[in-house]
Amino acid sequence: MIEVKNMTLTYASGKGIFEVDFSIKAGEVTGYLGPNGSGKTTTIRGILGFMKPNEGSCTIDGLDSIRDACEIQKKLGYISGEIAFFDDMDGDEFLQFMQKMRKEKDNTRQKELLKLFELDPKGKIKRFSKGMKQKLGIVSAFMHDPDIYVLDEPTSGLDPLMQNRFIELILKEKARGKTILMSSHVFEEVEKTCDNVIIIKDGRIVQKSDIQTLKNSQRKGFLIKPINLDDASKILRASGFEISVKAGGIIQVFVTGENIDRFIKTSAKFEIDNFDVIKQSLEDIFMQYYGKQEEIS
Amino acid sequence: MILTLFKKTLKQNWKLLMIFFAVLIMYMSIMISMYDPEDMASILAMLELFPRELLSAMGFSNTITDFTSYLAGWLYGLLMSGFPLVYCIILGNRLVAKMVDDKSFGFLLSTPNSRVKIVITQGLYSLFSIFVLFAVLFGSGVAMASAIYPGLLDVGAFLKLNLITMLLNMFVMMICFFFSCLFNESKQALGLASAITVVSLLMNMLGNTSPDLNVLKKLSYYGLYDPVEIAMGAEIWQFIILFSLLAVVLFVFGVLIFNKKRLPI
Repeated sequence: MIEVKNMTLTYASGKGIFEVDFSIKAGEVTGYLGPNGSGKTTTIRGILGFMKPNEGSCTIDGLDSIRDACEIQKKLGYISGEIAFFDDMDGDEFLQFMQKMRKEKDNTRQKELLKLFELDPKGKIKRFSKGMKQKLGIVSAFMHDPDIYVLDEPTSGLDPLMQNRFIELILKEKARGKTILMSSHVFEEVEKTCDNVIIIKDGRIVQKSDIQTLKNSQRKGFLIKPINLDDASKILRASGFEISVKAGGIIQVFVTGENIDRFIKTSAKFEIDNFDVIKQSLEDIFMQYYGKQEEIS
Repeated sequence: MILTLFKKTLKQNWKLLMIFFAVLIMYMSIMISMYDPEDMASILAMLELFPRELLSAMGFSNTITDFTSYLAGWLYGLLMSGFPLVYCIILGNRLVAKMVDDKSFGFLLSTPNSRVKIVITQGLYSLFSIFVLFAVLFGSGVAMASAIYPGLLDVGAFLKLNLITMLLNMFVMMICFFFSCLFNESKQALGLASAITVVSLLMNMLGNTSPDLNVLKKLSYYGLYDPVEIAMGAEIWQFIILFSLLAVVLFVFGVLIFNKKRLPI
C-alpha cells in the first residue's frame, strides 16, 4: 500500500534521509521510530509529496507521491508532527472548512470522533490547550474515513486516558483493514497497535522487524531504595549488574530478560525499603537496539 | 480557484483591507474637503510653509488648479501607492509564506486540492482585494466630489487615474506574492518584498525633489507615469499593458516555483 523506494532526501545542511526503503502492506500497522532528528518527519514529507526526494520515490496505493499528491489525499488521513492551525479560526469552523475542502458532506463520523475524544470544538483554536489542539488534529485526519493513515506522533500532548482512546481508535481502524504508518515515542501505543516496527537513525533505517522481536530485546528497569545503600550497591555490583545511584538513595538497574531471575534473587540478599519498575520509553529500547547493532558490526 | 478556500482567506483578511481602506478614505475626504475652487491661492500659500523638496517628494505640485489634477497630485502621487504598498507586503506574506513558515499550509495540502489550485486561489484573492479597494475608493471619490463640488470632477480622467493606480498596486501585490511563493520563511519573503518595493518608492520620492535626482525616479516603477498628466488626459494604455503583463508574469512564476519546491511542513 505504501512503498518507499530507495528514497534519499537531503537538506542543504547535509542532513536528511538516505536510501530509505520499506513497504507497508494493506491492512498493516507499522510503527516508525527513531530519536529526535533521525529523519522520521523527513520521510513523512517525502511520502506525502511535500518534498521531492533527491533520489528514489514513494507510491501510495500505486499513486506517485509527487505527481498524484492530490489524488492520494482523497484516501489519506495525515497528522503532522507539529500541528499548527490557521490564525484566528474557531475549532468547529476549522472542521467545517476541512470537510468542505474535501467536498465531504456527511459529518456523523466527525461527531463520533468528537465524542470519543470528549472534545468541544467551539471557541478560538488559539485558546485551546495543546491536548485539545492535538485532538482537533486527530479528528480532522480521521473524519473523512480514509483507507490509509500517515500519523506523525499522533498522541503527543494527550493525557493517558486519551492516549488509550486513541489506541482503541487505531485498533478499530486496523480491524477495518486500514493501512497505518505511525511515528511514535510511546511504547505502549506501538506495542498495542503495531504489527511491524521500522527504526531509523541518522537518516538510515537500522532495523525493520515485527513487534515481537523488538519486545524480546526489551530491558526492564528497576528502582530500588535499599535500607543500606552501600551494602546493596556492593552486592549488585559483585553480581555484575550495572547500577547507577539516583538522588534519595535510590538505585537504578537495567536488566535484560534472561537475567531477571538472577537479579531478583540477588536483590533478596539485602533489605529493601521501596521497589519500583521503570516503564521504559521506546526510545530507551531502541537506543539499546543501536548498541547491539554497533556491537555486531 | 477553490471557493471554500477563497472564503476562508477573505474571512481572515478582510479586516486588514478595511484598515487600509479606512486610512485612504480618510485622506481622500480630507483632501477633497481642503480643496477650494475659489481660492487655490490660499492652499498654495499654506504649502509655502513646507520645504519645497518635501512637497515634491510627496507628489504635490503647486501648478495645479483644477480639481481632478489636484486629487491626482495630492492623493495619487504618493498616498495611493504608499499605503497600499504596506497592505501588499503584509497580505502577500500572509497568503503563502506565513502558512508555510508556521506549517499550517500542511492542512491545505492534506485535502484533495493541488498545490497549484491552492496557491492560485490565494493569488486571486490578493488581486481581488486590490480591485475592491480601488473600486470602492473610486466610487467614494466620485460620490464625495459630486456632493461637495458638483460637476468639478472629470470622472473619466479620475477613472483612468484609479485604473492605472490599481494596476500599479496589483503589480506591487504580485511582487510580494512572488516572494511569498519563493521563500519558506516569512522573514525572507517579507524582507525581500519590502526591500524592493520600499526602495522603489523612495527612489521615486527622491527623484521628485530635484532635476539632478530625476534619474532615480525613472528607474523606479513608481515613476513610470505622472498622475497629474493622466488627470489632464495623458494616455495610459501602455502602462495598463506593462503593469498587467508584469503582474501576470510574477503570478505565473510564483505559482510554478511553489508547485515544484520543497515545503518543510
